Amino acid sequence: MSSNGAATTKITLTSSDGTDLSVDREVAERSVLIKNMLEDLGESGEAIPIPNVNAAVLSKVVEWCEHHRNDPPSNHDDDDSRRKATDIDEWDQKFMQVDQEMLFEIILAANYLDIKALLDVGCKTVANMIKGKSPEEIRKTFNIQNDFTPEEEDQIRRENEWAEE
Amino acid sequence: MEDNAELETFRRQWREEVARRNNNKNIHHEHEPVQQPQPPRFPPTHHAAAERKEEEEENEPDQSEIVSKVEQLHLQPETPVPGTADEDVFHAGPQKEPSSALEHFERAVQREAEGSLGDSLQHYRKAYRLDSSVDKTYRNKHFAHVWKKPAAPATATTPAPSAKPDEPETLPTPELIASFSNLPIPQADPIIENTPPPPCPIAHVPSDVLVEILRHVALMDPASFGRMALVCKRLAYHFAYEQHIWKRLCQGSEFGFGGMHYSFACDVLGHREYTLAPRYTPFPPRAPVQIPKPLSSWSQVFQTFPRIRYTGIYISTVNYTRPGGTSSYSNVSWNSPIHIVTYYRYLRFYPDGTVISLLDTTEPREVVPHISKENVMAARTHRHRDVGHAVDGTPDPVPPVAMAAMKRALRGRWHLAHPAESTQHPTPDPSHSDKTKAPLLDPRDVIIETEGVDPKYIYTLHLTLRSPTSRSSINPSKNTKLAWKGFWSYNKLTDDWGEFGLRNDRAYVFRRVRGWG
Repeated sequence: MSSNGAATTKITLTSSDGTDLSVDREVAERSVLIKNMLEDLGESGEAIPIPNVNAAVLSKVVEWCEHHRNDPPSNHDDDDSRRKATDIDEWDQKFMQVDQEMLFEIILAANYLDIKALLDVGCKTVANMIKGKSPEEIRKTFNIQNDFTPEEEDQIRRENEWAEE
Repeated sequence: MEDNAELETFRRQWREEVARRNNNKNIHHEHEPVQQPQPPRFPPTHHAAAERKEEEEENEPDQSEIVSKVEQLHLQPETPVPGTADEDVFHAGPQKEPSSALEHFERAVQREAEGSLGDSLQHYRKAYRLDSSVDKTYRNKHFAHVWKKPAAPATATTPAPSAKPDEPETLPTPELIASFSNLPIPQADPIIENTPPPPCPIAHVPSDVLVEILRHVALMDPASFGRMALVCKRLAYHFAYEQHIWKRLCQGSEFGFGGMHYSFACDVLGHREYTLAPRYTPFPPRAPVQIPKPLSSWSQVFQTFPRIRYTGIYISTVNYTRPGGTSSYSNVSWNSPIHIVTYYRYLRFYPDGTVISLLDTTEPREVVPHISKENVMAARTHRHRDVGHAVDGTPDPVPPVAMAAMKRALRGRWHLAHPAESTQHPTPDPSHSDKTKAPLLDPRDVIIETEGVDPKYIYTLHLTLRSPTSRSSINPSKNTKLAWKGFWSYNKLTDDWGEFGLRNDRAYVFRRVRGWG
């Protein structure tokens, strides 16, 4: 691998609101989307537009990629069947202590940029917010309105009763 | 004179009304004796452990009197209800002492469900002393909303709770859920009118990401996944239709069958047994797997396949009465006392193939949160050293009563019956007294071996998973009960088997415990 040479190469990302961000190529390549684009573009030195992600979110994502630049490449998703699926490392927990809008924007950006590990951390963070709560508490947490009629709610409750234990 | 006539009619009416009321009262009094000596949930007296027929799946609609239904309705909250989040009975705070008749009655029902009949009886007595028609009040409070329902639609009011709720205007549940497929997650209304609504970023998340979040929820805690289905229609749809999440749950080792043991994984003391042979698992994660025949979805597999739960405790409450001696000093009483004896058997299973078995009189509330392998070891080392210093690493001290109970806990190992073993010998072996391994027949069977009270013994428990009977729910959880099939002791020195009588023993019932699993 040409990791030594690539580490020093800088590329530029342009966010949806027109801000340029200079990033090590190795860091940016944690995103499968950017990696594929770079392979297609070659070494042209042009800025890469990221039209779905604004500057605030993009810099958050880049921060995460910087910290995880030396992580071993993640294996395929089936692999987490053995390890405990709930663990989030400490740095990631701190990183995810943002308001809910930012949290979901990071998740959406990770999904768009195809950064599996970041998407996982984000989804786990949301899952942790859900775990152990009652349906009403979940609604409150995410500002969701209850769109069931009382009859429907009762019907679904009885249908799913077995899943409670 | 007109006045007198009017007065006369009024008097007559009044007398009639009083008479009517008295009649009502008589009816109540008839109810009382029916109810008190025969509490509906009180288990039937005795069956032989092996042939014991657990009242499973015999969903015959019981035409029993309203009272018994009332009782069950109240018992229901005991199993966590969707609205109760992670609460469990073992972490509940101190309870308020009951004062009114109704409160006493409620407490009595609750104590009865817990198995403390003595306590329960006391509360029943107090309740009736305060208000002779307390059962009616209770019925009105806890039952009114239920009997209103069958009255409203014109459909036949058959008390068959296993039937689907087929009110005229409601869709069958699967179709109802299917109709939710494309609905957005609804945003909450603004708190103050004409202001922007509170942010609801989850509403803008595409389906694939939403499903990814749900998958993580399911792998952390399937019960939370179940509660998600009650949040809004869209999530109810995903809960029912994301079969790959259910498949992953089934294959996984967190809650699913990847974490079940079909042969002993360790010795009785918990030392791992290594084997080169591949371990059996019904749904290997890296091979093509199929939904077993009669079932049609992975959620059904997860629901109905024999599965041991690690997220709580299995409790068997044993109640029996025995006549007390005729005492010379209790001349006051006109009959001889009867002792109500209550004790509990506890089982906590671990994913590594170990189990803790405890037989004790300590109530669940006091001991359950502290049943763990660490505390068993701590309690033992404590006893041997006879020094009063605390075990390091324990964040909050274990109350002495629990620690005392843990000293009596026995370590052990467990496995589910291997399906191959259970299908290869389809004929039951009648002579099960000489060998404990002979009656291994049902894939729902669980074999447990524990230490004995004396180190020269090994205890063998043969249990089998059963589903609770529930007349109040159409789709109750399955395999949450462990019924007895046999209980033996083995003397390692003399190679002798002895059988334990299980005259009073009841099936184990699963209860979730917060923070386990």
